[in-house]
Amino acid sequence: MNAKRRIDWHRLRQATQIACLLGFLWLFLQTEYRDADQLPYPVSLLFRIDPLAAVADALAPGPFSWEVLWPALLLLGLTVLFGRFFCGWICPLGTTLDGFGKVTGRGHTAVRPAWRRFKYLLLISLVVAALFGVQQIGLFDPLSIFLRTLTLTVYPVWNLLLNKLFDVAYTVELPLINETLFLFFRDNLMAFHQPIFTLALFTLLIFVGIILLEKVERRFWCKNVCPLGALLGLCSKYALIERRPDAVCSDCQRCATECRSGVVAGTYRKQECFLCLDCAGFCPHERVTFRVSANSPPTSIDLTRRHLVGAAACGALIAPTMLISPAQAKVNPYLIRPPGAVAEEEFLRRCIRCGECMKVCIGGALHPALAEAGVSGLWTPLLVARLGYCEYNCTLCGQVCPTGAIRELKVEPKRKEVIGLAVIDRNSCLPFARNEECLVCEEHCPTPKKAIIFEQRQIPVDGEMMSFKFPQVVKNLCIGCGICETKCPLQGRSAIRVVNEGESRQQQNELTTGGYG
Amino acid sequence: MLNRRDFIRRSLQAASLSAIGSLPVFDLVPQSFAADAVELAVRTGSDIPALVRETVAALGGMSRFVKAGETVVLKPNIGWDRTVELAANTHPQVVATVALLCLEAKAARVRIFDRTCNDPRRCYVQSGIAAAIEALDDKRVELEHIDRRGYQEILLKNGVALKKWEFYKPALTADRLINLPIAKDHSISVLTLGMKNIMGVIGGNRGVLHRNIDEALADINSVIHSDLTIIDATRILTANGPQGGSLDDVKRLDTLIASADIVAADSYAATLFGFRPEQIPTIVAGAKRGLGVMDLSKVKKV
Repeated sequence: MNAKRRIDWHRLRQATQIACLLGFLWLFLQTEYRDADQLPYPVSLLFRIDPLAAVADALAPGPFSWEVLWPALLLLGLTVLFGRFFCGWICPLGTTLDGFGKVTGRGHTAVRPAWRRFKYLLLISLVVAALFGVQQIGLFDPLSIFLRTLTLTVYPVWNLLLNKLFDVAYTVELPLINETLFLFFRDNLMAFHQPIFTLALFTLLIFVGIILLEKVERRFWCKNVCPLGALLGLCSKYALIERRPDAVCSDCQRCATECRSGVVAGTYRKQECFLCLDCAGFCPHERVTFRVSANSPPTSIDLTRRHLVGAAACGALIAPTMLISPAQAKVNPYLIRPPGAVAEEEFLRRCIRCGECMKVCIGGALHPALAEAGVSGLWTPLLVARLGYCEYNCTLCGQVCPTGAIRELKVEPKRKEVIGLAVIDRNSCLPFARNEECLVCEEHCPTPKKAIIFEQRQIPVDGEMMSFKFPQVVKNLCIGCGICETKCPLQGRSAIRVVNEGESRQQQNELTTGGYG
Repeated sequence: MLNRRDFIRRSLQAASLSAIGSLPVFDLVPQSFAADAVELAVRTGSDIPALVRETVAALGGMSRFVKAGETVVLKPNIGWDRTVELAANTHPQVVATVALLCLEAKAARVRIFDRTCNDPRRCYVQSGIAAAIEALDDKRVELEHIDRRGYQEILLKNGVALKKWEFYKPALTADRLINLPIAKDHSISVLTLGMKNIMGVIGGNRGVLHRNIDEALADINSVIHSDLTIIDATRILTANGPQGGSLDDVKRLDTLIASADIVAADSYAATLFGFRPEQIPTIVAGAKRGLGVMDLSKVKKV
């Protein structure tokens, strides 16, 4: 390579990073109902190329989702050939860290090289735990972290600030901020309804923590913690990439301090190199070259058998420890999963906590669980019917789920998918508790033959017989969509609540009377 | 003489100019109807655009209700994520044709909106109304989503059920409002017709109004005056209303009812379901408040 082309590589890499980030952001903005039942774009592409999503899917019971996740295998294949280019060129979290590093300032602490081992150990523990039945890969998957922070915090805050601005513009004439601008933002860059989420702050804090690690050293997360980096690293051992020279030159040493992956300290190791190709550009002696070579020798990973066994044992112990807690679907009756969700055990093993379903949910009904789904269910989607309900004709969450945790349902079966059962609390329901007419739940109940019916009865009020309409849930018609709970006009707690009884996804013995044994 | 719309606009303006926090106070007296002057047009036919034209022509044409240069609000029922044949929303051809008639009467602008029950985007699309309005391809006709910022709190001086409530400003301030309900079964109000349809231009927690729905609707309709009510009974929902979902509950009548008197229009529509007007408490409340005439023998059929 001549000198001129080296500079091009640096620019090209930055441009690619920015283009990928913008591309993912654009797909993120399209992860919303836009007047079509079927989403026109593969909005969850970020997870379809995610090898960790493929690992979670492969280790879960049930068939592997080839048709959704083949791009992830393609990425793995490319990594085997060309190394960890994903980390340097594509990963949106990596790009975010590169961008924010400039803002926060980067530390130059000499972190011991042995720390790099941690990410491999973490990956091994996660994979072994998943094999043993507890999948927590999504907690550490950088793509999940990125998208879930975007969904749960950044985008809602963006919307809130813009909404406030346009609120002011509605009453006061402001320069530039007019209705045309509002309509452009509303239709392209803002959510239709202001998104609100539980766990918004918690999710942000973790993201901020990862960014602040830049103060310790550049790309701390990617070098030392990221399990996706570890997986891609493991695949790069035999990559056809050759860097010359393969160690720091004694007369310069600039690579040792300036390399973002800190990989050149000592001998060059393909597993740790993000292939940003910066060193080929900044080398004052123009000595550094990268080339594709069929004879590139494999480089070693600093892992001993003891490390491997230790990490595997860790995973093997974590799994049963988490599994002995009682099944949350039984303990917590308000654990309502999206329609199409597979049975709880398999669901937890498939869900990678990416937040796509929460982003796309048209009713703002899906929220991340903290402890509602048990210790192993952090950030998994939960329908909070008081905040939003499952829209009868909507099938969006199944369309975006990249790992088959939520199956894609067509409209007809979706309308029949039971996610719960509405239960009336007669102590607070207006006709029962206060002798007032209401029936808002009955009005909104979407099933063609209403699952909420009413009975008109005469009851004495102050010694006078008066007629009221009392609502009643028909168990074998209710699908648990929760619109009744959302729309219940009581302040605070709804007088009708959805519990997870009789979900379609849970295999149960059935009684002839329509109940469950 | 100050007309009703000017009065409303002035009240809103006065409140915004006076001390911060003060609300516009409405003590509107319902527009009075001399019984002999109330006209009601009922027509049947299966060609909906022609039916709309015929019905409005019977009342003397749209130019009787809409003057050149005016802004007209059409308030169809777009409340539910249901397709046309399920009779939960106003027929798209009724909405589109009325919009055209307004343009022919030289309206400057026709605004169409409803505060929906299901997700607004789904309702606008699924009802077929979005496609029908788009097909008009006329910039003066706008099907728009309710703008959260557009609600205005109002004190109702003579309110029976409502003391203070949020109303949608574009509906309050438009020169004309044409009410385009669909006739449907409803568990709390027995039927949902013209008066009930006006619930779609108010804000707040509408569910609480069910406690005293008839007086609440009379209050709301005394603030929001429908200059013309055209009830879509091309197909009606006879059970499982107001959103239905089954063709078994839909009855095709190919009928439109139109009147400048909302109570008279509702009263006639009630008879299509086999009710007498006095059996529908909302109609009774409306008539008592002077919103219109419910005695159909006193209404002139044109």
